[in-house]
Amino acid sequence: MTRRVWVVGVGAVTPLGATWVDSVAALAAGEIAIGPVTRFDVTGFPSTVAATIEPVGAGDRRLLLARTAAAEAWTQAAIDVPAARIGIFVGAEAGRPDFATVVAVSRAGGNVAALAPLAARIGRGATSPGAVASMLAAMTGAHGPVETSSLACASSAAAIAEAGRCIRSGECDVALAGGVGADVDQLMLASFGLLGALSARGVSCPFDVQRDGFVLGEGAAFVVLAREPRGAIAELAGIGRTMDAYRLTAPEPEGAGAARAMQSALADAGLDAVDYVQTHGTSTPLNDAAEAHALHRVFGRALDRARVASVKGAIGHAIAGAGALGFLCAVEAVARGTLLPTAGLAHPDPLCALPHVVGTAAYASAASALVNSFAFGGANVSLAVRSM
Amino acid sequence: MSIAIVGGSAVSPAGLGWRGMMDRQPNRATLLAVTHPAAGGFEVPAIPAEHDAGDAKSRRLMSRSARFAAIAARDALREAGWSDRTDVGYWLGVGASGGPLSEIVTMLQISIDEGAVSLAKLGAEGLLASNPLHTFQVLNNFTMCHGAILEGTGGPNGALFSRGAGTVHALGEAIHAIESGDCDRALAGGADTALHPVTWAELVRDGFAERGLVPSEGAGVLALARVGTAVPLAIIEHASVGDAHGAIDDADLVVIAPWGEPARGRLRDLAGSRTVLDLTAIHGEALAATPALAWLAAVDQITAGRSQRATILSLGPDGELGVVVLRRAA
Repeated sequence: MTRRVWVVGVGAVTPLGATWVDSVAALAAGEIAIGPVTRFDVTGFPSTVAATIEPVGAGDRRLLLARTAAAEAWTQAAIDVPAARIGIFVGAEAGRPDFATVVAVSRAGGNVAALAPLAARIGRGATSPGAVASMLAAMTGAHGPVETSSLACASSAAAIAEAGRCIRSGECDVALAGGVGADVDQLMLASFGLLGALSARGVSCPFDVQRDGFVLGEGAAFVVLAREPRGAIAELAGIGRTMDAYRLTAPEPEGAGAARAMQSALADAGLDAVDYVQTHGTSTPLNDAAEAHALHRVFGRALDRARVASVKGAIGHAIAGAGALGFLCAVEAVARGTLLPTAGLAHPDPLCALPHVVGTAAYASAASALVNSFAFGGANVSLAVRSM
Repeated sequence: MSIAIVGGSAVSPAGLGWRGMMDRQPNRATLLAVTHPAAGGFEVPAIPAEHDAGDAKSRRLMSRSARFAAIAARDALREAGWSDRTDVGYWLGVGASGGPLSEIVTMLQISIDEGAVSLAKLGAEGLLASNPLHTFQVLNNFTMCHGAILEGTGGPNGALFSRGAGTVHALGEAIHAIESGDCDRALAGGADTALHPVTWAELVRDGFAERGLVPSEGAGVLALARVGTAVPLAIIEHASVGDAHGAIDDADLVVIAPWGEPARGRLRDLAGSRTVLDLTAIHGEALAATPALAWLAAVDQITAGRSQRATILSLGPDGELGVVVLRRAA
């Protein structure tokens, strides 16, 4: 018999709060963290806003944010199992050396003598996605499986999926799983902006008729999953993963791949409807329409009984950290009946006609919830959670 | 565990294809000649256009690793004879090698004002001079996604960061997906290059070059299915990270893939008196690609009748031991 997977701890650092508890209060009140980027000069950039976390401290932002969020979840879980039975599963992309070093490396070109000292300026582990998981393994003393998913926007949802899979199969009994995104820097703001992926208006308004792109955010979110239900606040009940295999930068317009991921997660959980959906909802014209289409395709009339939202309206898109942040929203729904809203949504697009939660949180009992996380490149991850 | 390998593909310094891979001379590297002339190593030789990935337009968007992975995925699917790929899963160990530095160099050179980079000039002029799709060569999952899009694999998937062990985890995820019914068929492997200037600078800084790491590159992909559904090349009996206990006892061949000399000694000790085939001694260290290329080297030995049961031990720069056991199909 397949073992069940329980959520026994949650933690997050978001632009709206230094803990998940603080973040939930602000999110429920409909607060929005998006504002002008002040960490560096953005004159001339295609987009000049983001949802940032200040101050973080000196050093690799990914490590600092991940450590804080993971510590909150780990403390809440109060785990007492052998180290060999604890796994670490992280969604993270590569970090980058500071911009001055990138500039210096680039200017050095083929000058070998100049390159050698510059390499030393690139901090150990700073460019490795695996550095986050290594740090968390050291922090918790975990000696079980350690995996790092680098699946762009779906990285941390994939990490939670892999953690759930390992607990089900008996490879570990406890897993610290989640992810971190810290991409508000010159290169990513420039690159995503040039692609036209970022909002030129500087507004994140998922499913709104005026949406014109996403807003970069940063943050980290972690959960502790366990095979024993002691202290559990929810169950990770279903996992679905698919690939659009369509285009690099655009979702399949009918949402076919997304729909298959949702259906797979629901089937895995033994559900045919849910009470709350925390969408991928990036505020890009194509993604939101495709996801709305997929939701109708999957749920049909059962969608009427659900409530739908995207946290990215409030805290932007944390890329590798986004899926785990969405997962925490879904857990909040089934654990405490707090249905967090889509901030910034004022004029719902008829193409995205969904039972939105707008303004502030709604409060209602939710027995089950679904989280969507879709990546650049076409990877889709859907996770189903169930109340205790 | 009992999963069939029904197809495979290798892109290595010995060229395309896994059959006889260890018997062919690897191609010497020139990619680091400008920035690190003493690095040496091996690189994938020029790929004929008819065997390359996608078309010229799609290749412009690919990192070197993504291109190798796309070729390997295509050829593994062909060898498996899978034409309907909607439900085929795909797990790949990927590196953080990123795209070419030339885009950033171009962007920044135009942004210099009075000897220093001006962010205002970067915003006004530098950004326009670079290819915005550079972003998609930097994101690690694109090493997998290019091939998935070209070949239409629509099943469950994952891109696991790897300096060795992540590629073994990718194989484990694919095996579990098949065993649990998530999908009936899957690709699994790794793709990477150690010949990127930043990657090599990091390996030098961390002492790997000094201790004998020879940089290389490539991709290896296996096509996996349940036993009994297709004619297998070999059977996977075990795949794990961390402990070789009991995995070597019945092997008549041990394929080892150590990153350098200290790791080589450890793996040779584990192999004991058994016949050893040393992948990295011949092909160099291709990071996320190395374990997958070692699996294919073992498949080659098994299908050629030189081994009934092979254990593959990989030990990359991450220091974690990968253990895979293959046997000849009955």
